[in-house]
Parts: sequence; structure tokens; C-alpha cells
Amino acid sequence: MVSSRISFILEMTRRDFVERFAGSILGSLWAFIFPLVNLLVYLIVFGKIIGARLPGTSDMYAYGIYIAVGIIPWGSFSNTVTRSTNIFSDKKNIITKLNTPLPSLFVHVSLSEALTFIISITLMFIILALKGASFHCGYFLLPFVFYLQQILAIGIGLLTASLSVFITDIRQLVSVVMQLWFWFTPIIYVVDILPDFAQKLMVLNPMFYIVDGYHNIFVYGAYPVFKPLIILTVISHLLLAFSYMTFRYLEKDIRDFL
Amino acid sequence: MISAQNISKTFKLYQSPSDRLKEIIFRRCYHKEYHALQNISFEVGEGETFGIVGQNGAGKSTLLKILTGVLIPDRGQVTVDGRITGLLELGTGFNNEFSGKENIFLNGGYLGLSHSEVEKRLERIVEFTELADFIDEPIKTYSSGMIMRLAFSIAIHADPSAFVIDEALSVGDAYFQQKCMRKIKEFKDSGGSIVFVSHSMNAVKVLCDRAMLLLDGACVEIGDPEPVINTYNYLVAKRTKGEELKFHASDTGESSYGNEKITINGVQLLDEQGNSVAVAQSGGPVQVKINLTAHETIAEITVGIAIRDKFGQDIFGTNSFYLNCPISVEEAKSYSVLYRFDEFNIGAGKYSITVAAHSEHEHTNECYNWIDKSLAFEVVQSGDYSFIGLSRLTPHLSIEDME
Repeated sequence: MVSSRISFILEMTRRDFVERFAGSILGSLWAFIFPLVNLLVYLIVFGKIIGARLPGTSDMYAYGIYIAVGIIPWGSFSNTVTRSTNIFSDKKNIITKLNTPLPSLFVHVSLSEALTFIISITLMFIILALKGASFHCGYFLLPFVFYLQQILAIGIGLLTASLSVFITDIRQLVSVVMQLWFWFTPIIYVVDILPDFAQKLMVLNPMFYIVDGYHNIFVYGAYPVFKPLIILTVISHLLLAFSYMTFRYLEKDIRDFL
Repeated sequence: MISAQNISKTFKLYQSPSDRLKEIIFRRCYHKEYHALQNISFEVGEGETFGIVGQNGAGKSTLLKILTGVLIPDRGQVTVDGRITGLLELGTGFNNEFSGKENIFLNGGYLGLSHSEVEKRLERIVEFTELADFIDEPIKTYSSGMIMRLAFSIAIHADPSAFVIDEALSVGDAYFQQKCMRKIKEFKDSGGSIVFVSHSMNAVKVLCDRAMLLLDGACVEIGDPEPVINTYNYLVAKRTKGEELKFHASDTGESSYGNEKITINGVQLLDEQGNSVAVAQSGGPVQVKINLTAHETIAEITVGIAIRDKFGQDIFGTNSFYLNCPISVEEAKSYSVLYRFDEFNIGAGKYSITVAAHSEHEHTNECYNWIDKSLAFEVVQSGDYSFIGLSRLTPHLSIEDME
């Protein structure tokens, strides 16, 4: 049973990648080309062309790196939430025909996003290495920070997915909220430029701590701030548990309504 | 082995899906209930074929979805030892842009097979479909029959312990349908359980060891296919005519129904001299005599007979409508209708006769009286001509020199 779930998840994930580039000559090479181009755009546009400098540094590429290491994990987070929200209607054709283990679908989304993340972040490492940046132990915490943001994402996605079966508007709502959330998180700006009240509100934004964690690791060569991340660990797992219970409570209706 | 215990499923019908959430929050009832299945229990043993019949909306699809785990029953339990696969919908989860081979892997993944497990079976799967020349083409170029072959082949090679067959199989051509049937038989002989859902009553009679009749979500009858199907036919007749039809069934498999404006009192098999017999000679003269009493004056009725073999398959049937011989009856009078066969051209074996009196060409319009298996008889081969099979054809044989 467990092994068949695993093969189901793997097959779905593999399909994600194969499907995206089906029929193209370069095939899965595209999975590397897209993030590479993105990274180069951040570095060149923000560093060289706009000439923006990260406060406190004179490094030409620092601002580009700042943006890249925020936007890559945000992409995984945001995609996981939106794809999860829509997963029941997207996979309706198989859910209503085959015995599909519904929670596996969320694992699949997350795994697929994790792969994309790994590709992008590996390219990031290569660029950093070429730039001559030195390695430090903070990098070992990357998987933890990523794990945390994905638990949060599945926690939200599982809940919105379950509810969106009954209220379709949730899907639109989620896209709008994710858009606002992006701009409310210091990804392409630094938190210091915000007015005081907004900086205070930032305490309530879990993604602030996550993105801050990436910034510390990649840009400042430091460790993430631990205390909020530990609190977030507890909160995100509780949220996931709550979402899972809600899902279980509604599962029969979800299957009936699809 | 499949075991279903007391399965019940109620669909709550809401005006809009959000009413379901309102119901949870406000604790008020916002739905109408629809009982799709009520207390269904059955078992399908190893190597057994189990038929499910019923009219549209009787709950067959819901039951299949519960068996395969797509829907969750409100009450009751389904246990399947191992994997259950089937052709629930043609090519579910197939991607039109992908090649046949890619889709084998995808579909296999949905059924819970790992990549290497599919790889091991790939050759057998492709070989069975006979699509080797097309297997690397995207399946958007396939015909629906080809897609069915692919879907069937994956499903049967996924080592299921139970297999569900529904109407989807009928998409294939005759050759492939037979090939599928042979494969299904192999599967059955190796101990697989089969659930067969069909509107073809003959197929159910021939293939199934047992059958179940569903009516409005309830199990009306379960057991040998033949009486179950007779009841089904009765239900079909009853539905077309709103009035109550009287229904009698006996242990011998004889069952009758109808509004009894006309009653059939008896059926006899007669030889040439008019003596009642139980054994007829293949190819010899035979008469079937039907005695009936009219309780109403009706301008035109139809009296028909059907001869069934020991599997319950209709091998011959006709009626006075088709024979262009209108029968009119008057109230409180009795009649005997005589079918005379100069050459009773059916092969040796055990048969039964089903008789009916109804209006127009079919019993579904107004059925006065229908008696299944009202008479059992046997046909023996006469000494002068030997053959095998059900039909006594009389070919002329000749031989010619070439050139």
C-alpha cells in the first residue's frame, strides 16, 4: 500500500516535468534554462542596469542575489499554495475514476516544487561559487528553512483545497492573496524602507521570517534568526494538522461533490 | 475476493456546494437526500464472476465507484484482497499528447505500479494490444477502440485480484472483444474475481456465476443469473406500464407477471398426432400449444414464444405480431394458440419455453401475462442426421474435380 502510494507520487511528479517539456527538442534541459535566465536577469538588471545597491554593501551583485534568493523560495511557496488549492479540480478526471489517495496529491505538488527549487538553488550556488563567495555552516540550514515553508504551504493549500470544492471563489481569493502577500514580504525591497507601522505588522507575516532566513544565509553569510523560526515550526505543523483534520472530515463530501 | 457488507450511500443534494459548509457552521439542514444505495451486501469469491444488473439510476455506477474506492460509503465496508482494476472509463488519466508507451507508464503509476514494475510488464502489455507499430505515436492519433485496447491491457496486466468490466468493453471490435474475453477467462481461471456490469442480459447469463439486481439502490434479488434476469425483465415491463403487475415466482425458475387481463393457463409441447410430449426429435414436426383465457375484450393481442437453451440464452423467439397473425379475444373466453413447426431445427439439448401475451410487438408496452420457463423439454438427435451445435442446418455436400 505504502509502496504503491510512493510510486503514484513519483509517477505524478515525473509526469509534471515530462509533460511540461513534452515534444521539445531540448526536453528537460529547459528545466535548467528557465531558472538560469531568471537568475541572470536579476543579477544583471538590478545590479548592472538599474545599479541598485543593497544598503550596507557596495557589491554590484548583492542586490540581485538578495532578490533571487528571496524570489526562488517564494516561487516554490506560492506555487505550492496555488497548485494545492486547485489540485482537486485539476485532477478531477482521475479522482472521480480511480482510487486516488488524495493526500498524496499534496505530497506530489510539494515534491515537484522542491525539485524546481533544488535546480534553481543549485544554479545559485554555482553563480555564488564563480563569484568567489565562501561557504559557511548556515547553508546546512537551508533544507530546514525550505521544509518549514513547504509545511506552511501545504497546511494552507490543504485547507483552501478542501474548502474550494464547496466555495469556488476561494481559488480566486488565493491568487489575489498570494499577490498581495508577495508585496507585503520584503523580497524585492529591504524591510527598512517600510514605514514603522508596516514594520510592526511584519511580525505577523510568517514568510517574512522565512525569506529573512534565506537572506541571512545567502546575502549576509549568517544564520537565520532562530526564535521566530522555532515558533513558526510549531505553528505550521499545528496548521497542517488542523488542515488535515478538516480535510478528513470533509473527504467524503469532497469526493461526492467532485 | 471482494466482500461488501451493508453498503449504504446517500447523496445529499444541495442547491450549491457552499450549502454544505453552511450546514456545518449553522447546524441546519440545507439538503435533500437521495438514497443511492441501501444496505447492499454481497461477496465475490475467487474465480467467480458476479453480475450487477439494473436500470439506469439503479445505483450500479455508485456501487462500482465504492468498490474501487473512488467514493466512500456512508455505512458498511468493502474489502478487496489486493488490487481492483477495470475499465471504469475509457483511458482515464491518459494524456493525448503522450505516446502510447508513455501512457502505459502513467496509467500504471495511477494503478500503483512502480516504474520498474511497468517496465517488466511493458512487453506483455504492448503485445496484447497488438499496437506495437503505434506505441510510440501520441495517443491523440488513436481510435477509441485502440485506446480501449491499451486501457484494457494495462488494467489486466496490473496483477489485479479483482477486475471490473462495464460497457466500455463494447467499444472494441469483435476480434478484440473475444481476445479480451479469453484473457478475462484466463484471469478468472487463475482465481481472479470479476464484477460484470452490463445491460446485455444474454452476456450476463452466459458469463456470470451469480448476479444481483438493483432497483432504486436496493438489492431486489441475488443468486443464479437466470431468475435474476427474469425479474429484471419483469421490472422493465412494469416500468413502461405504470399499473401494478402481479408477480409470481416458483422454485423451479418459473416466474410470471402481467396485468392479467389475459392469463396463460398452460403450455404444451405436442407431437404430430397431438400427444403431449417432453422430448422432441431434432428436425421433426413439433407443435407448441398455448392455452389462454381472456378477462377483457381486446381487439388485437400478441402471443409470443421464446425458446431458451440451458444457459438461458434466447435461441429463438417470435410472436403473432411478427408472423402477421392478429389475434382478437373476447371477455371470459378461452383460446388455444398453436405454433406448428414442420421441422424443429434445433440441436440436441435441454431447453425451456417462455410464453407471453402482450400488446403490439413487445411486452414493454402493455404486458398481459408473461411466463418465464413455463415448460422445460428436451431435444434429442434423430438417427438419420448427425451434427453438433444448436442449429440444425441442412447443407448439401458436393465435390467437384478442379479443372
